Amino acid sequence: MNKVAHIFKGLFSVASLCAAILIAAPAAHAQSAVALDGKVKVERTETVDGEQRTVLAEPTSVVPGDKLLFTTAYRNTSAEPVENFIVTNPLPRAVMLAEADDSFEVSVDGGASFGPLAGMMIADGEAGDRPAKPEDVTHIRWTLPLIQPGEEGVLEYHAIVR
Amino acid sequence: MTHARTKLALAASTAILCALPHAAHATGVTAGTLIENTASATYESGAGPQTVDSNTVTVTVDELLDVAIATQDAGAVPISGGGTVLTFEVTNTGNGPEAFDLTADPAVTGNDFDATVDAIAVDTNGNGTYDPGIDTILGAGDSTPVLAPDEALTVFVIVSPPAGISDGDTSQVNLLAEAATGTGTPGTVFTGAGESGVDAVVGSSSADADTNGALLASLATVALAKSAVIADPFGGSEAVPGAVVTYTLVATVQGSGSITNLRITDIIPTGTTYAAGTLTLDAASLTDADDSDEGKASAAGIDVLVGTGTAGTDYTVTFDVTID
Repeated sequence: MNKVAHIFKGLFSVASLCAAILIAAPAAHAQSAVALDGKVKVERTETVDGEQRTVLAEPTSVVPGDKLLFTTAYRNTSAEPVENFIVTNPLPRAVMLAEADDSFEVSVDGGASFGPLAGMMIADGEAGDRPAKPEDVTHIRWTLPLIQPGEEGVLEYHAIVR
Repeated sequence: MTHARTKLALAASTAILCALPHAAHATGVTAGTLIENTASATYESGAGPQTVDSNTVTVTVDELLDVAIATQDAGAVPISGGGTVLTFEVTNTGNGPEAFDLTADPAVTGNDFDATVDAIAVDTNGNGTYDPGIDTILGAGDSTPVLAPDEALTVFVIVSPPAGISDGDTSQVNLLAEAATGTGTPGTVFTGAGESGVDAVVGSSSADADTNGALLASLATVALAKSAVIADPFGGSEAVPGAVVTYTLVATVQGSGSITNLRITDIIPTGTTYAAGTLTLDAASLTDADDSDEGKASAAGIDVLVGTGTAGTDYTVTFDVTID
């Protein structure tokens, strides 16, 4: 009985952590100074008059290997400036980052630490560490020092369906 | 208590999610997988630190139709009087469960002969070898069983030779595998035709693949040559009464492979008498009696059952007669 209770205690802490994350979402939505609007498109290559060009299409008939464009539009809807605006985007497991970009930092350790992809190392199990690759990225993060009232913009990243 | 159980279930599902591998399949995430993206922001405003989440955008991964096929035979499969079996492997390189239609075409350009396709079977017991009566023969219009993503299936094409083939003739049999949902140029969409009602999209293989299995006619033939040497009682070679005639019968197996039930018989010529105990096969004496050795002989003739004759080998039978 004692042992069971101990296990429950352990599980409770994990569960309550999840619960805290889940609860945070709706609570923050109510009266936020900044609105975030996520969208996703699929990049298709079309050949028109013999010329290839990339077009963005609604994400239907998406299969492994397709390239997706995830966008998050932000807008300061309040009358006050917003400072230290940090947007964190966990990568869905079924996609991998297409390429690193100077506009955001990445994490290859589940969001514990962030930085430029170049120079990051990742444990590969056998021969110690190896340089991290775009497919190792677990989270990406944008940092905007200041958003003025009414200011808006779009944050985006490209990902490939695994 | 109910409360505690709920938390237990929540904790358990969290653990399972964490254990999911990033890329479960070489061929990509499975059809029906949901890609859900949510961004969250923290910032500071006049009201202090704040957090906000974006809406969650969701993309459903659709079914990719792809297939690969490879021959499993190390080289050309010998074919002789009877049928033979060509072995192939069909792999579902798509990301959803899919069955495949198989078509065998024995008329490939460059063939010396076109075999007859008797049946296509799947390796039901998975041992890599065709087992008649155990491995399921696909009827006309039947597809293979449904293959999971990355799953490979061994299939057999059972063929028989046409009449009139010669040793060394070669032939190829083409086996085509096509996704049962459909094929087409890469990117072709079959709306709602994929697993669980997702779209099915033709992949880079065009959702079909074909390869050739090779056949080599392996036919053995027998040539028989008979010669005679006469030794007369006077040290010469005159065919006079009392002279001994040694007959030599050489059976030469030509071509490739082997023949079964090779039997050499001859009759004792009129006017001569078989010299008892002179029958040999490849220089080894055989008894005249009908017993365990290969040969028997009598006043009427000789009869040697060689058995299996291998191509490239001579089988030599000798016996003596005396001119009456």
